[in-house]
Amino acid sequence: MNNAKTRFRRFGAVMLASVLPLSLLAGCGSSNSGKTQITIFNSKMEIQDQMEEMAKTYSDAKDVDVEVYYSSDTVAAHLATKYASNEPYTVAMVDAKDVYALARDHAVDLSDQGWVDKTDQAIAIDGKTYGFPVSIEARGVIYNADPIEKVIGESFDPTKYATLDAFKALIAQLKQGGISAPTAVMKEDWSLAAHYLGEVYEEQADPAAFIDELHDGKVNLNDNPKFTSLMDSFDVLKANNYAAANAISAEREVSEQKLAEGEVAFMFGGNWDWAVINQYDYSENMGVMPVPQNTDDESNEKLVGGGSKFFIVDSSDATTDEQRSAAKDFLDWIVDDADGQSFIVNDCSLVSPFTNNTLEVADPLGASVKEYSDAGMLIPSYNYMPDDHYSVLGAEFQKYLAGQENRAGFAKAIEGYWKSAKITTPDA
Amino acid sequence: MKTNKLSYRFGQYSMFAGPAFALFLAVVILPFLYGLYLTFTSWDGVSVEKPFVGLGNYATALADRAYWDSLGRTVIYSVITVVLVNVVAFALAYAVTQGLKAQNLFRAGFFIPNLIGGIVLGYVWKFVFNRAFVSMAEALSHSGSSSSLLSTPNGAMFCLILVSVWQYAGYMMLIYVAGFMSVDQSLKEASLIDGCNARQAMWHVIVPLMRASFVQCIFLSTTRCFMVYDINLSLTKGEPFNSSVLAAMHVYNQAFVYKNYGTGQAEALVLFLVCAVIGIAQVFIGKRGEVEA
Repeated sequence: MNNAKTRFRRFGAVMLASVLPLSLLAGCGSSNSGKTQITIFNSKMEIQDQMEEMAKTYSDAKDVDVEVYYSSDTVAAHLATKYASNEPYTVAMVDAKDVYALARDHAVDLSDQGWVDKTDQAIAIDGKTYGFPVSIEARGVIYNADPIEKVIGESFDPTKYATLDAFKALIAQLKQGGISAPTAVMKEDWSLAAHYLGEVYEEQADPAAFIDELHDGKVNLNDNPKFTSLMDSFDVLKANNYAAANAISAEREVSEQKLAEGEVAFMFGGNWDWAVINQYDYSENMGVMPVPQNTDDESNEKLVGGGSKFFIVDSSDATTDEQRSAAKDFLDWIVDDADGQSFIVNDCSLVSPFTNNTLEVADPLGASVKEYSDAGMLIPSYNYMPDDHYSVLGAEFQKYLAGQENRAGFAKAIEGYWKSAKITTPDA
Repeated sequence: MKTNKLSYRFGQYSMFAGPAFALFLAVVILPFLYGLYLTFTSWDGVSVEKPFVGLGNYATALADRAYWDSLGRTVIYSVITVVLVNVVAFALAYAVTQGLKAQNLFRAGFFIPNLIGGIVLGYVWKFVFNRAFVSMAEALSHSGSSSSLLSTPNGAMFCLILVSVWQYAGYMMLIYVAGFMSVDQSLKEASLIDGCNARQAMWHVIVPLMRASFVQCIFLSTTRCFMVYDINLSLTKGEPFNSSVLAAMHVYNQAFVYKNYGTGQAEALVLFLVCAVIGIAQVFIGKRGEVEA
C-alpha cells in the first residue's frame, strides 16, 4: 500500500518534471481582452515608432486590438518563419516582388475594397487586387540647393540641368566656386544595382521585353543607348565623388550628412533617404531631380518609382474572418479617415499613393516626388527583378565604382548574369 | 521486482533520459530530417507547394561557383583563425598561470570580448576600421586621404580573422588555463630535476598532458569558424564585391534572400558534412594519442 503510494508520487513527480519544460515552451502568447486582435508586420524600420504609437491610439479608439511587429530580416525570410509556424500576421507590409511571390498562397483578394479606385499603384495579379500600396517612393538625384545657389548666385532650377552637358557645366562651375567634390555616391549594392542599374531596364521602351532579350543573350549593352547614357551620367557622379579615393568604404550616414549639410550638392537616391538626412542639421532647400542625361526620350524629365511597400491580408485558416474584416477596416482607415491620412503623411512622412489624400507632404524630398507623381512624371519601377540581382550585380557595380573594372567588363558581367538568371515575366 | 526485464529497463531509461530524448528528437532530429526532405524540393521558402525535384538541388549546389568560392574562403579563414586563436589563447593562458599579480583581472579582461555578441562586436570593429584607423593613418601620413582596410578583399579577410581571434582567444584561454592547472606540478618539478630546461619541460611534459585541452579547443574553434555568420554579417556584410561572403552567409542568402530554399538547404547540408568530417577526424586523431598522468 505504502509502496504503491510512493510509486504514484514518484510517477507524478516525473510527469510534472517532464511537462514543465513543455509549459515553458507553450507559455508565449494568449491574451484575454474580448476584442478582435490583429497583428501588423511592419517592414519599414524608420516608421516603427510611429506604427507602435498608431497601434495604441487606434486600439483605444476602435473595437480592435492592434499589435505591430518589426524585423530586420529580409521580408520573405521573416514571413517564411511565420508561415512555417502557422502564425501569420493578419496584415503584412511587404515589397512589391513579395506580393507576387506570396499573394496566391497567402493573401486575400481585395478587389472589392473601396480604395481600389483611388490609387493606380495597387498590385493586381490575374485581375485581382492583392497589394495595398502604402506609399510612393521614387528615385533620382537628390540635390541640396544651398551650396549650389551660393556659387551660381541665383535660385537653383533643376529642370535647367536635365541634360548631362548642362549638369557637367554646373559641376565645373561648382568646383570653381570652391566645392572641390560636389557629389556623393552610395556604395550600397541595393542603391547601385537595384536602383541605378535598374533604371537602365526601366527606361527602355518595354522593360519586360528588354529583359527577355538580355536573358536570350541578344543584347549588346555597350551599344545600348540607355546603358551608355546612364553610365555616362554615373561617371560624372563617380568622378566628382567626395570619397573618390575610397568609394567602397564610404559610409551611407557620412554621405547623407554631407549632403544634408551642404558639403556636397548631389547624390543619387530617393525620398526614403529623408529618414537618414533628417538625423542631421539638414537644409529645407532640397529636392529630387531626374538623373541628368543626354537623351531625347524624356526620361531625364521623369523620376523612376511608384508604389512601394504593400499591405497584404492573410488568407490562411489561422486568421479568422473577424480579423480579416478588422484588417480591411484598418486599410480603409488609412485611405479615408482624416487621422489615417494624417498618419501616413504627417507622422510617417510618406507620400500617399491615394488620390483622395491631399495633405501637404512636409519633407522636401517627398514633396518633389509628390510633384512628379501628381504630374504623371514617374517611370514605373520594374518589380520582377530576380532575387539575387541586386547582390550579384551590386558586387560588379561596386568593382566599377572602385575602378577595378571598366565599362566593357561591367557590361559583360551584366550580360553574363542575365543569361543564367531565373527570370519571371510579369504575366507568368 | 525484476530489474532485468526489458520493460523495466525501458521504463528506467525513459524516466531518466526520456524527456531529454524527446526534446532532442523534437528540436534537432525531426527538423534535421525535415530539412533533408526539403533538399529534394524546389521550395522557395514561402509557397504552400513544395515541388519534388529529386537530386536537382545537389546538382545546382555543385554547379554554384559562388558557393564553392565561399567554401574555399571559409577554409582559408578557418585554418588561419584556428591556428592563431589557439596560439594566442595558449600564450595568454601561459601568461596568466605564472602567478602574476592581478592575473585574475587579466583573465577576466581577455575573456570579455567573448561576452559581447558577434553582431555588436562586428559593428564596433567596423567603426574602428572605417573611422578610427583611417583617421589615425591620415593624421600620421600627412598625405591626405587613406582608405579603410575593409575596402579591399584581402583587407576584409584580414579584418575578419583579426576580430575572430580577438573574440575567441579569451574563451579558448579559459580551457587552456584549466589544462595548465590540471597538470600536476610535481611532474614538472621532477622533469626539471631530471635535467630538462623550462622549454623542454613545457614541450615534453606539460603539453602532452594537456592534450585534451588542445583537442577541445581546436574542435570548438574549428566548428565555430566554419559556421561563422554574425561577425561576417556585421563587420563586412560580404563586401567588398561579395569577396568576403563566407559559407554560412552564402547559404543564408541562397535560401532566404535569393529564395532558393531547397538549394540553400542542400548547400547547408554539404557544409554540415564538411564540418562533421573535419570535426570528427580531428577529435579521433587527437584522442588517440591522449596521455593520462
